[in-house]
Formats: sequence, structure tokens, C-alpha cells
Amino acid sequence: MLLLAGGPVHVRLAPDGSVAAYTGKVELGQGARTELIQAVAEEMRVGVERVKLVMGDTGLCPDDGGTWGSLTTPQTVPAMRQAAAEARGGGLTAPADWKVLGQSLKNVRGRDIVTGKQKYASDTKVEGMLHAAVVRPPYHRAKLLSVGELPGARVLWEGDLVAVVAADPVTAAAGAAQLKVAWEPGEFAAPPSDAEKLGSFFQTHSTPPVEGPGRYPPLIRKGDARGELERAGKTKESRYWLPYLAHVPMEPRAAVAVWKDGAVEILSGTQAPFSVRSEVAKALGIAESQVRIVVMPPGGAFGGKQRGEVDVEAARLARLAGAPVRVAWTREEEFTAGYHRPAGLVVIESALDSEGKLAAWVHRNYAAGAPGLPTPYDTPHVSCEFHRAPSPVRQGSYRALAATANVFARESHMDEWARELKVEPLAFRRKNIADARLLAVLEQLANVPGGLACTIEKDARIGLRAQVEVRGKEIRVRKLVYVGDYGAVLNPGNLRNQIMGALVMGLGGALFEEVEFEGNAQTSRFLTNYRVPRFSDVPEIEIRLLDHREIEAAGAGEAAIILVAPAIANAVFAATGRRLRSLPLKL
Amino acid sequence: VQNEEMLDEITLFVNGRSLTAAVPAHTTLLQFLRDFAGLTGTKYGCGEGVCGACTVLVDGKAVRSCTVRAAEAGGKKITTIEGLAVEGKLHSVQRAFLEVEAFQCGFCTPGMILGAVSLLRETPAPREAEIRRRLEGHVCRCGTYPRIVEAVRLASREVRRG
Repeated sequence: MLLLAGGPVHVRLAPDGSVAAYTGKVELGQGARTELIQAVAEEMRVGVERVKLVMGDTGLCPDDGGTWGSLTTPQTVPAMRQAAAEARGGGLTAPADWKVLGQSLKNVRGRDIVTGKQKYASDTKVEGMLHAAVVRPPYHRAKLLSVGELPGARVLWEGDLVAVVAADPVTAAAGAAQLKVAWEPGEFAAPPSDAEKLGSFFQTHSTPPVEGPGRYPPLIRKGDARGELERAGKTKESRYWLPYLAHVPMEPRAAVAVWKDGAVEILSGTQAPFSVRSEVAKALGIAESQVRIVVMPPGGAFGGKQRGEVDVEAARLARLAGAPVRVAWTREEEFTAGYHRPAGLVVIESALDSEGKLAAWVHRNYAAGAPGLPTPYDTPHVSCEFHRAPSPVRQGSYRALAATANVFARESHMDEWARELKVEPLAFRRKNIADARLLAVLEQLANVPGGLACTIEKDARIGLRAQVEVRGKEIRVRKLVYVGDYGAVLNPGNLRNQIMGALVMGLGGALFEEVEFEGNAQTSRFLTNYRVPRFSDVPEIEIRLLDHREIEAAGAGEAAIILVAPAIANAVFAATGRRLRSLPLKL
Repeated sequence: VQNEEMLDEITLFVNGRSLTAAVPAHTTLLQFLRDFAGLTGTKYGCGEGVCGACTVLVDGKAVRSCTVRAAEAGGKKITTIEGLAVEGKLHSVQRAFLEVEAFQCGFCTPGMILGAVSLLRETPAPREAEIRRRLEGHVCRCGTYPRIVEAVRLASREVRRG
């Protein structure tokens, strides 16, 4: 095999004319594999069936970043195109001449999916493998005190990790259920289900942001926003709240670890093989070169599989057992042993000038995060701030991160102004937007009824109308009309699928999802007490795409999710006159 | 804790073949299929029978295999996703899911397809509301529900055309 191009991704031409390409990115249902194969096929001028794409294997692939932040489309696709064009020995194909990109190529693994052949991490089996069932504390941050004896069972215990291993998972789970383990309960630093108390805990324990570079700068300043607020005649202050959410991928986390000669290979369902490799190396006290992560396609991830909790457990237990070990979390473990989407408080203070245009905007996000802070509204005085605060429960990434919090707050706040001024919400936004592409998106929604939300997220211009029906305390979403300008559309069928999925997932966070706690324990532990969207929750969904081939494609796995809650909240206000500022929305 | 004496030898008729395994008492049909028979197309999603990922056909009807003991399925005809295509020819519901691309990560798809097969056997021409109601017990966290409804309608039209 001849190496023709290196760089951030590898594309190789084999003597038989087939093409092998390598990326550390992972296919998690977002269509990355198919899209990247399109990119290589386009630039190599070969049929898609000739392209073999190796993803997420730290032993074979370059470290081109974890699969997060909707970066595969804007970063990996261009890198792949470039590498493929170089391998062909030509220049990049002009978007107007695309023959493979821009087409709705179907998921290249579709047949394996509908026949049950696709192997996920939890389906993996290796020779001599033992199954582990980890014993979990019933409390938050509990300390292990003692481990009892269980004759006939093989108990592995190291530090805070206790598990029963057996040749089959039924026996292992039965053992773990019988094993007596004593824990000292920990306490939450603040009650995680209490919006009032947790919100003020965040405020009193937060650190003010400082300006700096990065993908999600925590402080965006222009003019003198606080001074302008004092000077202005017409001001408004509102507070918004978002609770902890669970990712609930259909496949709970799983990993199989195999040790050989002091090195460990892990078959994993992670989104981020290279950072999990570091995590495992650190936890096991070995060099990164002694760890290989081989990713099997995760059965959903949504930001929940970026860390290597289960990979570390499998590696530790396999070392203790002296045999390959599989750790596959139960649904209850998936709810309690991972991490959650951060809860957060957002406070917005704003002022209008005498012509009813935004004059000042002070946006403070406590605890949730910085993504989504930049405002798409043309405002002379701005201070958008992320105040970091400690979380009483483990938290981490989630689809769209804090853009959900920041956009829910901003788009609700815009609607509050429009209603107060008795101006059409769309007209009020139009008056404050300078971006021509976002204005074009709004134009598409001008004659569509419903609560409105729009923004610029990860370079995409997006807008949503939500039509709701309120009966008593029940909010029913009847129809969603979504317009998106993502620049060039690389695969229209897949893009529509991603947008639809993000909108449906957004319904959960908007209307009913919330991780709940009581005393020193989490009470949301099963699908029977944590509701996720089902068939009956899904309204009619219309998706319109504005295709701009000449503009680099924006990532699309996340953006749509962030408009759902504010569009519904704004529709609920129109229907009832009640302004709901906490998620999930409850009348 | 299990030991040798507590294993039950169970024979099940799966996808047209007899499969025998010695399994611990209380082993569910799902565990029998996945962990003892190597049929991993059937998925574990919740263990409570509320997500539908473990759906298989037992005598032609959709059953949540995580809620049934393997021993109770003796003498019955079990079909898993691996046994749905006949000699490499996909079932009309599988073809429709492919045609519509009614999936993303694909983890719920085997259970979803078998749920749809069972639904169409009982109701060959379901209305949209009927499809939603009958598949309500299946979760697709990727949110492809509208496409799944479309796929079931497509399969229904195909079946009726023969």
C-alpha cells in the first residue's frame, strides 16, 4: 500500500485501485462514515464502493480530534477532500461540479443495520472473555467501607471498584446483587433538583470569566453594556433555568478489555478514542503507547460517551482478572454512573433605544457553559458571560452543550420584548439582525404561524416555528416548521435525518426530561421514571433547507435541538399569556 | 451464586433451528439469545420491557425478550432479526427501512423492525395513528420516528401489492 497523502487524515491508494482512508472520528448515527466516504470518492474520482474508511482505531488512525461539536463536516470533510485530491494528484473539485457530494447517498452500513449484523461494543465477544458486573453505591459520591464474602463467586476489588466476574453475564449480575458492600454516603453540595437553591449556589460559587481565545470564549464584550443599561430608559431583566439531563443512548456504555504483554486493547463504544486512550493510560499507570482503543459504532452517544468510565473499568478488571473482561452497563448504570448535561441559570438584562432597537445586552450564564453565548442580534453594547460554577453532580458534554441554555434564554427574552412592544416577534428580530443569511431564513418563516426562535449556531443559520395546542396543563406540539442554511448541503437525506432527530430529541428537554434527586441519591434511574420522546410525542415536522454550494458546509448534528424549547415556550405564551422560563416547560 | 448444578439445559427453536444451552435459572430469553446463542442482533436497552430494543417474534407475535424467561419460550417458534430475511432476501419491512433510511445509530432498528412485522401481520393496512399507537413501546433516541412511520406505511403498501 502506497502512502500518498498524510496530514490530519490519511488517504491511501492500494495497487488494486481501492482507496483506504483513516480518521479518528467515529460513526454514531450522525452519518459521518457515509459523508466522509462521499468526500473521498468525490476527490479520488472512484465509486463509493471502492472506498474503505477506517474510523476510531487509535492503532491505525490519526488523532484528528474526538467526535464532538459537529466538527466532522466543517473540519474532517475538507481535510479528507484535500488528502484525497492530493492522493489523486489534482486540485479540489469545485462544488458546482460535485457528482457524489451533494447527493443523498444512503448509509453505507444500512444493510448490516436492518439485518442485525452491525456489531456494537456491547455485542463484542473475544476468546476467554469474562463478564463483569460492577457493584454500585446507592448514594452520591459514596465511599467504599467494606466488601463482604461470597462463596463460589469471583469478586474483584481494587480501590473503589468492586465487581463480580463470571463466564456469563447472568451469573455475574446475580453475584453482584448478592454481594454485601458497605458504603459511606456522600452529600450533595447543593440540592440538585431544587432550581432555587441550586441556582443561588451557582451564583455564590461562580468565578467571573476573563476574555480569552478558544472555540467557546467565556466572555464576549463590545462597548459598555452595563453602563448603557444604567443610562437606558427601557430595560428588562429575566432569569431562566435548565435542569440536569441524561443522554439515554439506546445502547448503555460497554467495553471489552484485553491485556497482552503489559499493553491493553479496548473494544469500545466511545466517541473520543484518543482522549479515552489518555484517560485509560493515566488510570492504569501505563504509557499511552500501551493502550489501543478500537471503536465499535456506539448505539447512540449524544455527548454522553466522550469519557472513558466504562473503558477504565474494563481495563482495571481485566488486569485484576488476568483475562479479557467485558463491562456492559445496565440501563440503571447508564443513568447513574456516567455524567449529565449541566444544569444552569441564565440571567439576561437588556435595554432598548428610543427606536425600539436593542441598545445593550448583558447575558450571564451560571454553570451551564459558554457555547451559544454569541448573540446574532446587532447590538452596540454587549457582555455575554459564562460564570463557571462547581456542580454537585458529575456533568459533561451533551448534544449542543450549553447552546440549548443560552439560546432558550435569549430567544425567550427577545419574545418578551416583542410582546411588551406589541410588535410581531419576527419583525422585532428582523429589526435587530444584520446577517443577510439569517434574514433569509426568517423570510421563509414570515408567513408560517407559531412560536418563533432563530439563531446562528456553529455557522448555521436556523429558524423554527412551533405550533402548539394547550389543553389544561398539557402542552401538545402540533407542528414544527424548520428552516436551515448550513452552507453547502453535502448529503440532503442525511442532513434532514439529523435535523429531524435533533428536533425530536429537543422535545424531551423542552417538555419533560429532567434528572431528579432526593436526599443523597439520584431517583431517575430507569426508563420507567425518566421519560424520553416517543411516537405519540412527535408532531408534524416540515424541514426546508437553503443550499449554498459555494459556502463551506456547517456541522448539523446538534444545532436544531437548541431552538425547540424557546419556540415552544414562545408559542405557549401566545396561547396562554404565561411566560415559562424554566425547563422542562410546565403550566 | 450459580454453580454447575443450578444450570438448566434449555432448547429453543430459533430462526428455524434448535439451539441448546445450559443457562442459569431465571435467564431471560434476551440473555439466552445474546449471551448463550450468540444472536446479538437482539438488543438490551432497558431491562424493563419499555424500550422495545429486545423485541423478537414468538409464534409470530412481538414479545419483549427481556421480560420473558428463556424456559417459558420452550416449544415456541422464535424469530430474531437474524432470521427475518429468507435466503438473503430481505423482508419487506427491512427493505422499507433501508429505502426510507428509518434509522441513525441503528441500535433500536432490529426491535423496531420486528415490532413492525408483528403489527403488519395483524393489521396489514394500518392508519398512521395505528402505527404510532402500536409502536409506542419502542424508543428511538435518535428521533427517527417520522421515518419509521413512513417505512411501515411503505412496507404495508408493498405487502398488499404482494
